[in-house]
Amino acid sequence: MPREIITIQVGQCGNQIGMEFWKQLCLEHGIGKDGLLEDFATQGGDRKDVFFYQADDQHYIPRALLMDLEPRVINGIQNSDYRNLYNHENIFVSEHGGGAGNNWASGYHQGEQVVDDIMDMVDREADGSDSLEGFVLCHSIAGGTGSGMGSYILETLNDRYSKKLVQTYSVFPNQMETSDVVVQPYNSLLTLKRLTLNADCVVVLDNTALNRIAVERLHLTNPTFAQTNSLVSTVMSASTTTLRYPGYMNNDLVGLLASLIPTPRCHFLMTGYTPLTVERQVNVIRKTTVLDVMRRLLQTKNIMVSSYARTKEASQAKYISILNIIQGEVDPTQVHESLQRIRERKLVNFIEWGPASIQVALSRKSPYVQTTHRVSGLMLANHTSIRHLFSKCLGQYEKLRKKQAFLDNYRKFPMFADNDLSEFDESREIIESLVDEYKACESPDYIKWGMEDADRSLTGEASVAGALESKLTM
Amino acid sequence: MAESIKRTLALSGRHADALSFADLYSKLTHRSSIKNRWALLYLLKSIADDRRKSQSSSIPKVSAGLPSLPLSTPKKTLASQTSGRGGVLLLSKDPDNIREIALREFGDLVSEETEVSESALVRDVLYVSQGIDGRYVKFDEKSDSYELLQSLKVPRSTRILVRKLAELGFLFRKVRNYINDSMARFVAEEVGTVGQAFASALQDELSDFYKLLAVLESQSSTPIPMTGSDSGSPENYLSLRRLAVWLAEPMVRMRLMAVLVDKCRDLKGGAMAGAIHGQSQHGDPLVQEFMGRLLRRVCSPLFEMVRSWVLEGELEDVFNEFFIVSQPVKVEALWREGYRIQSLMLPSFISSVLAQRILRTGKSINFLRVCCEDNGWADAAAEAAAHVGTTTRRGGLGYGETDALEALVIEAAKRIDRHLMDVVHGKYRFKDHCLAIKRYLLLGQGDFVQYLMDIVGPELSEPANTISSFQLAGLLETAIRASNAQYDDRDILDRLKVRMMEHGDGDRGWDVFALEYGARVPLDTVFTASVMKRYHRIFNFLWKLKRVEHALIRVWKTVKPNCIISCSLAKEPAVRVQFVSVLRRCQVIWNEMNHFVTNFQDYIMFQVLEVSWARFSEEMDAAKDLDDLLAAHDKYLGSIVEKSLLGERSQGIIKTLFVLFDHILKFRSLADRWFERIYELQNRGKSSRAKSKDLSKSGSWFDGGRKSMIQLAGDFLKKMGEDLDVIAKDYSSSLDAFISQLPLQQHVDLKFLLFRLDFTEYYSRLSPSK
Repeated sequence: MPREIITIQVGQCGNQIGMEFWKQLCLEHGIGKDGLLEDFATQGGDRKDVFFYQADDQHYIPRALLMDLEPRVINGIQNSDYRNLYNHENIFVSEHGGGAGNNWASGYHQGEQVVDDIMDMVDREADGSDSLEGFVLCHSIAGGTGSGMGSYILETLNDRYSKKLVQTYSVFPNQMETSDVVVQPYNSLLTLKRLTLNADCVVVLDNTALNRIAVERLHLTNPTFAQTNSLVSTVMSASTTTLRYPGYMNNDLVGLLASLIPTPRCHFLMTGYTPLTVERQVNVIRKTTVLDVMRRLLQTKNIMVSSYARTKEASQAKYISILNIIQGEVDPTQVHESLQRIRERKLVNFIEWGPASIQVALSRKSPYVQTTHRVSGLMLANHTSIRHLFSKCLGQYEKLRKKQAFLDNYRKFPMFADNDLSEFDESREIIESLVDEYKACESPDYIKWGMEDADRSLTGEASVAGALESKLTM
Repeated sequence: MAESIKRTLALSGRHADALSFADLYSKLTHRSSIKNRWALLYLLKSIADDRRKSQSSSIPKVSAGLPSLPLSTPKKTLASQTSGRGGVLLLSKDPDNIREIALREFGDLVSEETEVSESALVRDVLYVSQGIDGRYVKFDEKSDSYELLQSLKVPRSTRILVRKLAELGFLFRKVRNYINDSMARFVAEEVGTVGQAFASALQDELSDFYKLLAVLESQSSTPIPMTGSDSGSPENYLSLRRLAVWLAEPMVRMRLMAVLVDKCRDLKGGAMAGAIHGQSQHGDPLVQEFMGRLLRRVCSPLFEMVRSWVLEGELEDVFNEFFIVSQPVKVEALWREGYRIQSLMLPSFISSVLAQRILRTGKSINFLRVCCEDNGWADAAAEAAAHVGTTTRRGGLGYGETDALEALVIEAAKRIDRHLMDVVHGKYRFKDHCLAIKRYLLLGQGDFVQYLMDIVGPELSEPANTISSFQLAGLLETAIRASNAQYDDRDILDRLKVRMMEHGDGDRGWDVFALEYGARVPLDTVFTASVMKRYHRIFNFLWKLKRVEHALIRVWKTVKPNCIISCSLAKEPAVRVQFVSVLRRCQVIWNEMNHFVTNFQDYIMFQVLEVSWARFSEEMDAAKDLDDLLAAHDKYLGSIVEKSLLGERSQGIIKTLFVLFDHILKFRSLADRWFERIYELQNRGKSSRAKSKDLSKSGSWFDGGRKSMIQLAGDFLKKMGEDLDVIAKDYSSSLDAFISQLPLQQHVDLKFLLFRLDFTEYYSRLSPSK
């Protein structure tokens, strides 16, 4: 009963970060490219069966489902060194291979059509596990497949496996550069609705921030996808260490997420990691003590979500929860000292409507991966400033929507047929209220929030819409 | 030396003097009793020289009218000294008639006063000195001493003298009685080897004494010259006075022996040696030397015992006189209770530190032999012996060589302890077992604990007396196989057992369930039954804590985001506000409980388990002997118990904590019911809506169904809100109690817990407002 976790990677981006993730996991568990355990991997203590299962010939197979509507990335994987790692039955590429054309609606619609094939794969994997803990979805929210088909999968999982956890690693598009995908804001908004309603936890990976980190922290002038993806895989593998190296606490995904997400709607997590290195890049070796690591984790520059908040708003932003996963040789007494120091310096601003504190999980480090630093740390945080990212998405959507631009591509598909754009409105409304809830969390009166204007909401949709409208403009 | 004096005299032109010196000297040489003749002469000569010098220096000042005096001085001194040795002070032989007459008269007077001759008395005294009644001097039971018969008419001085001399007899009698006594008792095995040694040493001293008596006796046959009679009388006669001089030294010795005999009468073994040692702290070199001789004899069996104990672990102590005693105990208690120091038998010349070390060394050997079935200690002991040198041969150690003994003990202790540590760590993998206990009994192996919780949990809610531990054992095995524990050493897993602690009426399985770790010989010396009992308590506590955590996580799972966000009740305008409000309150309470439990667990992990373990681990590596190891482990366990609020002083706060736990568990069961109902209502709503689609015409019917559903939901939510209020109130009052009790706890580390609980100062902000 290993509390298995099934990873579903959808679309180009999802499969790329998924591939990096599995590479990293194989390295950490001493599993070779063909799935066979390396000879040196004899030191036990790690749990491989959460993410892998063993075939009859003892080779390890990732509990991973690879899905895409166009074959390029998956073909790449199948021609790579790791081609024998995956179970070929778990790879789904749409027959026509035309992709979703960066259209959420297309991806969603195609997902709907192949749902039987996809769910067959999911069911097979789920049946193969003793006590399935949940699913992890890797995708981007901007494109067509990851966002559209990903959204459909989220809804289906929520429906079929309502008792299982659904966690996503969602890549948010880079806001700094003009994207070749002009309908990005539409796609993002529609996906965000599913992430809000149908996921239990969303780990937000902001490409803007990832790029910034690559440039600023790693001194790469032009970070490649592979390089930013390796940042993602580092975060993903680090956030699962407590599941893979069991210790006194945080041994299952539910336990990990429950403390982070006290209120159901606010389930979007930010991550931070230190010290960062990109594959094969020798960084300046820094002193890494627990305090150094914990302090650096709280610095915005190390956080993998950009803050779009203005200064005044930023000062009001609060942490709802923080979990620091510290890996390496740690003297447990240092944890207390570090926490004391952090509180003395008031480095962290928590919600006021309930007790909160920085949770620390200590985890082993893989003995097979050599690093130059003794201690590394990952922060998973639920921070209200993430609402600014959503506001930004909303803003972009509004701009596009006002122009009524590119909507034809969507009207082609059943959901938006007959010029029924209510899906957009509904999504916007949901994201609005999400932003509001995060904002409410910054106030000490969160408990009472939503009660006083409840009467107004009863009077009709119009007033809500009006209220939303006014909120948007400010 | 004699020659040099003669020469000096001859040189100074006093040939007559030189001749008379030679004569005197030859007399002196005949006296066998004077041992350091040379020294004596030297002394006299140096006195003479000294006189001469002072004289020569004083010549100019003092008149030269006394030239003969200094010349005669050396001779006179010589004469007086020499005759002094003989026993009677010969006064100046200046023939003075008046004096002669007076002396003769005195002699007559004396013989008139005396009924018995002096020689008879001398003989009696000699008899008495051997503990035999003489003719005139007899043992008087009443006064417990030898007395000259009252009826005899003797001068007072003689009587006194005789009484003084007779003390020797009294002492002798005492010593001899003791010896005889202990010889007699020896058969009955009560005296012990030390006692025997003591008796035999005394016997030897007595036989020396007998020799002296024999000589004296032979001299006593020589008639005593009459007082005042002049030269020509034999020199080797014994008068009472001479006897007194002869017996002065034996008297001292005898007195010492008698004192010792008194002191040691009821003692044996080490205690006896200690008592004798106590008497030997004496400034008189004579006494010291005598006591030293005695002690060497007396202690030799004792030291032999130490040697064989330290090097061979043998306790050859048939007479129970060693300061280490063994007790018949079970194997696991061998180390703790098997041997102990009998402070009564600990001679004072062995310090208690040394004694402890001696105890431990032999104990280590026995532990190795009995519990570890290890023979490697013999090499270690041999090595130690070789290192210290030859003094370790059987019987090679004696009193006064305490340093050598100490060196031997230290060396042996060092090596044997090291060997023991090697065996404990190497062959018996002490650290591995400690780690295993930490993993399983202290819940370090998270995945295993989780599975166990999953599968054992339902069982444990039953009353304790209905639970079959057999079934639990099966579940334990399942949990092992399902978790990473399966890769653990089979030997370790086999030791893991389910254990139900003693239970009373009304106890549930949760209260008594514990895991047990079967520490076998020799590790059960560390993990004794009482130690395991403490582990069980810790396990049970941690287990309860885990259960509460588990419960809270389950609650979260039932209301996890993608289940509750899209709950249809949130869309029903009539109950929406009510629903959202109740739900949020529920979540806030959950958050508070979860905050408490996770931080408590954090505290347990960081401040209790890991920190204690890190310290223990250090001390374990530094431990030089099993006692260190035991102490380190005790400290480890003690610190866990104390910090986990399981100590004596935390009984109040732990009660509050369990009340808190109960509230949380109650919250869980309520929450289960609430959300089951909510989901049921939701489904009913869904199906009614589905029906409404099918039967879109019968809107009124649908509305009726929906209305009743909303009505139900409204009532339910109201009830739920009320329940929630109650539980929130109970919880926060208990939490307040807990937090207010925290600073009162003795343990400093509990501050950490308070710090974590109130990290954002949420509670300190709340409390002033109250």
